[in-house]
Amino acid sequence: MKPLPAALPCGALLLLAVTADHPLILAAAALCSLLLLLAAPPPHAPYIWFAVLAGGLVAAINPFVGVQGLTPLWRGPDLPLLDSEVTAEELAFGAAAALRIIGSALAVSAFVRLVDGDMLARGIARVAPRSAMIGSLGARLLPTLERDAAGIVLAARGRGVELRRRRTATELVAPLVSLSLERSLALAEAMEARGYGGGPRTARPARRTDTRERVLIGAGVALAGLVAAVLAGAAPYTYYDLLDDPLSSAGVALAMAVVAVGGLAVGAVRWPR
Amino acid sequence: MAALSFQDVSYSYPGGARAALDRLTLDVEPGELVLLLGESGCGKSTLLRAALGLVPHFHGGRLAGRVIVGGLDTREHRPGELARAAGLVFQDPEAQLVAEGVVSEVAFGLESLATEPGRIEARAEEALMAVGATGLADRSTGSLSGGEQQRVAIASVLAMGQPLLLLDEPTSQLDPVAAEELLALVTRINRDRGVTTVLAEHRTGRLFGEADRVVVMDAGRVSFSGTPPEAARRLALDAPWLLPPVTQAFIASGRPELPLTVREAKRLLGTRAESQAVAGPAGDAAVRLERVWARRGQVDALRDVTATLAAGAITAVMGENGAGKTTLALVAAGLLEPRKGRVHTYGRSGYVSQNPAHHLLRETVAEEVAHALELARTPAAERRRRVSDELERFGLASVAGRHPHDLSSGERQRLAIASVTVGRPAALLLDEPTRGMDGLRKLALADLLRSLAADGTAVGLVTHDADFAAEACDLVTTIARGRVLADAAPRSVLSEGAFFVSQVGLATGRARTSEAAAWLRITAGERLHA
Repeated sequence: MKPLPAALPCGALLLLAVTADHPLILAAAALCSLLLLLAAPPPHAPYIWFAVLAGGLVAAINPFVGVQGLTPLWRGPDLPLLDSEVTAEELAFGAAAALRIIGSALAVSAFVRLVDGDMLARGIARVAPRSAMIGSLGARLLPTLERDAAGIVLAARGRGVELRRRRTATELVAPLVSLSLERSLALAEAMEARGYGGGPRTARPARRTDTRERVLIGAGVALAGLVAAVLAGAAPYTYYDLLDDPLSSAGVALAMAVVAVGGLAVGAVRWPR
Repeated sequence: MAALSFQDVSYSYPGGARAALDRLTLDVEPGELVLLLGESGCGKSTLLRAALGLVPHFHGGRLAGRVIVGGLDTREHRPGELARAAGLVFQDPEAQLVAEGVVSEVAFGLESLATEPGRIEARAEEALMAVGATGLADRSTGSLSGGEQQRVAIASVLAMGQPLLLLDEPTSQLDPVAAEELLALVTRINRDRGVTTVLAEHRTGRLFGEADRVVVMDAGRVSFSGTPPEAARRLALDAPWLLPPVTQAFIASGRPELPLTVREAKRLLGTRAESQAVAGPAGDAAVRLERVWARRGQVDALRDVTATLAAGAITAVMGENGAGKTTLALVAAGLLEPRKGRVHTYGRSGYVSQNPAHHLLRETVAEEVAHALELARTPAAERRRRVSDELERFGLASVAGRHPHDLSSGERQRLAIASVTVGRPAALLLDEPTRGMDGLRKLALADLLRSLAADGTAVGLVTHDADFAAEACDLVTTIARGRVLADAAPRSVLSEGAFFVSQVGLATGRARTSEAAAWLRITAGERLHA
C-alpha cells in the first residue's frame, strides 16, 4: 500500500491514543488499530505480544506508584518507595495508560505491516536518497540476522553445544557480526554490479491511487477531524480525585465515531484488489 | 570487436599471497555461450568480477593488464558505469536482493541506469515474463524460494538489457529440476536474444554440450579454451571430474567415445541396462522415525513419516526444494520435536548445517574442533588427542591455528563437519554439504563420509545432487511434500526415477559411475564379440 493512505489512518489513531483522555475513545482507538493490524499482511503475533506486554506492565505497576484517588479498594503492607494502597482511580488510570500504550504500539505496527516498504523508501529518497537506501537495506538485514542467529544456535546444538547460558550466549555476537559484515559486503557488491552509484538515478512512476486507498485517505482525514475535536476538549475526562462518568454523551459519541470510521478503514484494507 | 577481452591480466586481492588471475588472456565474441570450468579457487569468480570492474574497484588489490568490456576499459570506468555493458548474477541469490517487492527488485537496476521512468515498469514486467516469473510479480522477495529468487535475480539483470550476461554458479542452490530449467533458460536467452553469456558452473551435465566454447581455468590462468568435444578430449586426460558424469562413465569404462549429453550417450549405446538392485550394508538402525509429523512455521513439513538411518551406511535424503528434507534431518538429529509420532535414537546424533559459517564460533580452527569436547568436560589429554585426530582426518592440521573465518569455503565445510564428528555421534546428518563444491572436492567428501560410515556412523545426507548421491550413498530416502516416497531404498533407484535420477543412471541404467563403467565394458565386449 502507498505510504499516504497507510499513514493517514494509522497516524490519526496514534494521535488519538496519545492525546485522548476519555477511556472509551482510548479503547476505540486501540480496537481500530488492532483490527487494522489484523487486516494487514502477517505476521501479527509479535506486534500484538509486544503491545500487550508493554501495556500490561504499565497497568500492573501504576496502582503501586500512584498516590491519588479517593476510592480505596485494597491496602497492603507498607513497603519502601511503593504505595501500598490501591484505589479505583489508580486502577482506571493504569488501564487507560495501558490502552494508550497498546493503541500507540498497534497503530505504528499496523502502518509497518500495511505500507509498501519500497514505496516508502522511494518517498524518503526524494528528500534523503542515501539515508533511504541505508534504512531500507538495514531493515532487510534484520530478518537475515535473526535467521543467522537461529542457524548458529541450531548448528551449535547439532554438535552438543547449548548456547543458553549467559557466557555461551555472548559467543553469538562475534559470529553474527562476522556474518553480517560478509552479507553487507555481498549486498553492496551486488548493488554496484547493478549500476548503483554510477550516476543520477530515476524512479519508476508511482502507480495511481486505487479506490481502497482513496477510502483510507478519506478515513484518515475523518479520524484527523476527530483528533481535532479531542484536542479542542470535546470529550474531557479526569481520573483523580474521583473518576468522571465514562458514559458521557460526548465521550460515547466520539468513541462510536472512531469505531465507525476505523471500521471503514479496516473494510478498505480487507477489500480485495 | 570482442564482447569481453582480457589482455594479459594479473590480479591479487588485498593481502592475497598469490595472484587470483595470473597473466590471463581471453576474448569472448559477441553472441557466444562460454562455459567456464575449473576447481574451486582457480579464479572463475574473480574473472567474472573483473569483467564488471568489481575487481579492483570494489575489492581493491592490484590489477595489471587490461579488461575491455563493451569497448570500455575497466580501469577507467567504475562498475556503476560498466553495468550498462554487462550484468552479473551472483552465486547466492538471497545476498543480492535489494528491494522488498519483486517488481521493485527488477526495477532497481533500471532506476540505477537512469532509465526513462515511463519505461521502467514495462521493462521489469517483460524481464519477469522472459524468465517465466510473472506469477511472482506481487510477491515479496523475502517469501521466494531459492529457485524463485534466482529467477528474479536473472530477470533483474536481463531487464537492464546489457549485451553481456555473466553468471557465477547460478544453480548451486537449486534442486535438479529447477537447475535444469534455469540452465535451459540461460541457453534460450543466449540463442534467441543473442546475449553473450559467460557461465561458471560445477554442474556441467546440462550445459557442457550446449556451450559454444569451454574455457578451463587453473591457478588464475586459462589452461584450455576450445569447443566442447575438444575440451572433453583434453579433460579426459587431465581432469575428468570436470566433465559431465555421463562422459566420466565412458572414460572410466575405457571406451573411446566421449558423449557430452545423455542423448548422445543413449544414441551411442542404443540400449540401457536392466534395472539391478544393489543392496546396501545391512546395519542396525541408529535413528528411526515412526509416523512422525513435524511443523516448520505454520506448515506441516513432515506428514506421517517413517524413515530409518542405518548404522555403517550413508543414506541420501532427496527431494525438491521445500519437500521437507531439512525438517527430516532436524527431527532425526533431535533438534526439532515432532508434533506427533516417535523418534527412536540409539546414541547421540550430530547435525551439520547447510551454512558452514553457522558452525564457526571460536578464534582458531583447533579451538573450534575442541569446543564441544570442552563443554562436555572431556579430560584435557583425551581432548587434545581427539582434536589432533580429527584435524588430521579432515586435512585441517596445517590451518589449526588460523581463524575459521579466514578459511576457504571447502575448508570451512570440512571444519564444520569435524566440529561435529569430534563428539563421535552415532548418527551424523549433513544438510546440503556439496553446495558450491567442485567435482574433486565432492570426491574427497564422499571418501570422508565413507570413512565415517566404515567406523559405524549412520550418515544421513540431505542433498539435491543426484550424481553425488549416486557416487557417495548406499541407500536413498526420497521425500515429496512432507511424505516419504521410498525409505532407505537401494541406491539403484537413482537410475530408475524421473526426478531423483543421476545423469549416468539416465543414460545407462546404472546409478554410479563405476557401475555404469563396468556395464559399458561388458556391452563393448559383447559388441566386439558379436
